[in-house]
Amino acid sequence: MSPPEAVARVERLDPLEPVPVLVGHPGDRELNDQLFGPVWAPTRRGWLVLFGLSATFAAVLIVAVTYTVATGIGVWGNNIPVGWAFDIINFVWWIGIGHAGTLISAILLLFQQRWRTSINRFAEAMTLFAVMQALIFPALHTGRPWFDFWLFPYPSTLGLWPNFKSPLMWDVFAVNTYFLVSLLFWYVGLLPDLAALRDTSKSLVARKAYGIFALGWRGSARLWRHYRIAYLLLAGLSTPLVLSVHTIVSFDFAVSLLPGWHATIFPPYFVAGAIFSGFAMVLTLVIPARKVLGFENVITPRHLENMAKVLLATGLMVSYGYLAEHFNAWYSGDRFESFLFFQTRQRGPYAPVYWLMMFCNVVVPQIFWWKRARQSIWTLWIASILVNVGMWTERFNIIVTSLHRDFLPSSWAMYYPTWVDWSIFAGTVGMFGTLFLLFLRFVPSVSASEVKELRRELEHEAHASAGH
Amino acid sequence: MASYVLGEFADDAAICAAARSLREAGVAALDAHSPVPIHGIDEALALPRSPVPLIALVGVLLGGSGGYLMMWWMNAVDYVIDVGGRPAHAAPAFVPITFETTVLTAAVFIVGGLFALAGFPRLHHPVFEVEAFRTASVDGLWLSAEVEPGRAEAVAGELRRLGARQVSRVDEEEEP
Repeated sequence: MSPPEAVARVERLDPLEPVPVLVGHPGDRELNDQLFGPVWAPTRRGWLVLFGLSATFAAVLIVAVTYTVATGIGVWGNNIPVGWAFDIINFVWWIGIGHAGTLISAILLLFQQRWRTSINRFAEAMTLFAVMQALIFPALHTGRPWFDFWLFPYPSTLGLWPNFKSPLMWDVFAVNTYFLVSLLFWYVGLLPDLAALRDTSKSLVARKAYGIFALGWRGSARLWRHYRIAYLLLAGLSTPLVLSVHTIVSFDFAVSLLPGWHATIFPPYFVAGAIFSGFAMVLTLVIPARKVLGFENVITPRHLENMAKVLLATGLMVSYGYLAEHFNAWYSGDRFESFLFFQTRQRGPYAPVYWLMMFCNVVVPQIFWWKRARQSIWTLWIASILVNVGMWTERFNIIVTSLHRDFLPSSWAMYYPTWVDWSIFAGTVGMFGTLFLLFLRFVPSVSASEVKELRRELEHEAHASAGH
Repeated sequence: MASYVLGEFADDAAICAAARSLREAGVAALDAHSPVPIHGIDEALALPRSPVPLIALVGVLLGGSGGYLMMWWMNAVDYVIDVGGRPAHAAPAFVPITFETTVLTAAVFIVGGLFALAGFPRLHHPVFEVEAFRTASVDGLWLSAEVEPGRAEAVAGELRRLGARQVSRVDEEEEP
């Protein structure tokens, strides 16, 4: 089925019937041809333009990082009291974005949510690339990144070990585990498709390249038996893992005594925020990609609508987190807490960031109560970008606003990011885009083997219900 | 040296019936190849239980106890860091990393175990000699039997009788 035909099928859907998770009855070979189409097609001009743009920003990242390492982190806007600024904001933001990938691939798999099938590969790739960007920031923030290996427990000539009672060490283990497990999960899920790429390739180079990554996959029934169990177990492990990662990230803050950080609501509130921002990023990326790649019959309006519902639900959880923070500030009777929440954040020098956060994270998702908004592609796309902005401002608000006005007025100071801060941030966006475009070009962005399985299940069900 | 006989079948029911029939006829080294798992093939081939859950359990136990013992030995035995008189062996503070090492080790064991069971990486296999076998990852359902060369023709005939759409034979080359 050619892409225009697939689009036409989506447009011909009966508006009174619920939108299916897979439009039409494409055969296995048709699915392969369609989903592998972008890999085998010649490079498009639009892809090259986007790639050039992203790669330029990635080059900016390399320049800015080199400059930082060569000169020292004094080139950043960080100061005392604002010792954690852009680096930790961006770290938490990128890690949070990654969470939707694991949620879609693992948690929705365990809950047998079929709509995950066409978007999981996509979301997992997003997770990997987002976590890579996240790791850049704390690695630089140590100040002497060439000593970062000190974070790992290895028998050193110094004769000392890391302090495992520090939340910062928990972070090292959580984020690295998260990256490695996500990588394994993604790669294992990719194996059947890599074998299919090897077997449908036209050139010897492609056949060898995909053949090496396919490791010799033969679709053996003996292996499928182990494979399905292994995949399910990995999903089962990833589920608590993804919840633990942002919980531990929130401990970096919650375990301290700073007003605005020291709150027991932090772990669930951070996890909800992570899933919220992650789904927003999936929407931001998937909406243009499904259009350009012609995947509207496998990533249907049903998928987009479900993601909008997740945005609404997690947006409400995040709003509850805000409410709980403000309530605790008032109910604790602590002067510093209430000063922060009711003076500094709302009326201080960074108040616009606070109100932007409230607008993007609390007000914007409410439009998804309306079905019409959930079904409008443009509304979804713009809202998803606003949520990404909102979640970035939330981290700014937590980190910079809390730090710049702490206990003693004599130690108050403003924080202003420098061009290096902005360049590193923009550079990670470019690096993320570069990696993502390479992924879209060389790897099938929708899992053909899983969609084939989904089609069999749907047919089996249709058959069973027709029989009664 | 062995011979491989491959037969392609039209649907899940046909391949399962053929697998069962060949197995009952005494062909032991049977395997099926398909783009997605075949419904009912596990019973037809009488596949044993997968050891993957056990491998995962070993990973969980090693990762959990190893992580905790590592922290205990490093922070409470080998190099005690006294921060304001807090206990050197602080169980609650060791929970997060214990959890992470548990998950990481288990995941590495699961994937490593899967690859070991599959014999990965094994980039070449005699069945790849058959050009038509390339459909096994796209839309083809193939049954393969590893037999001694003398028996290959008989098994090929049996596959045809059981309804295979096409049958091929590969003879493993003698090692030079």
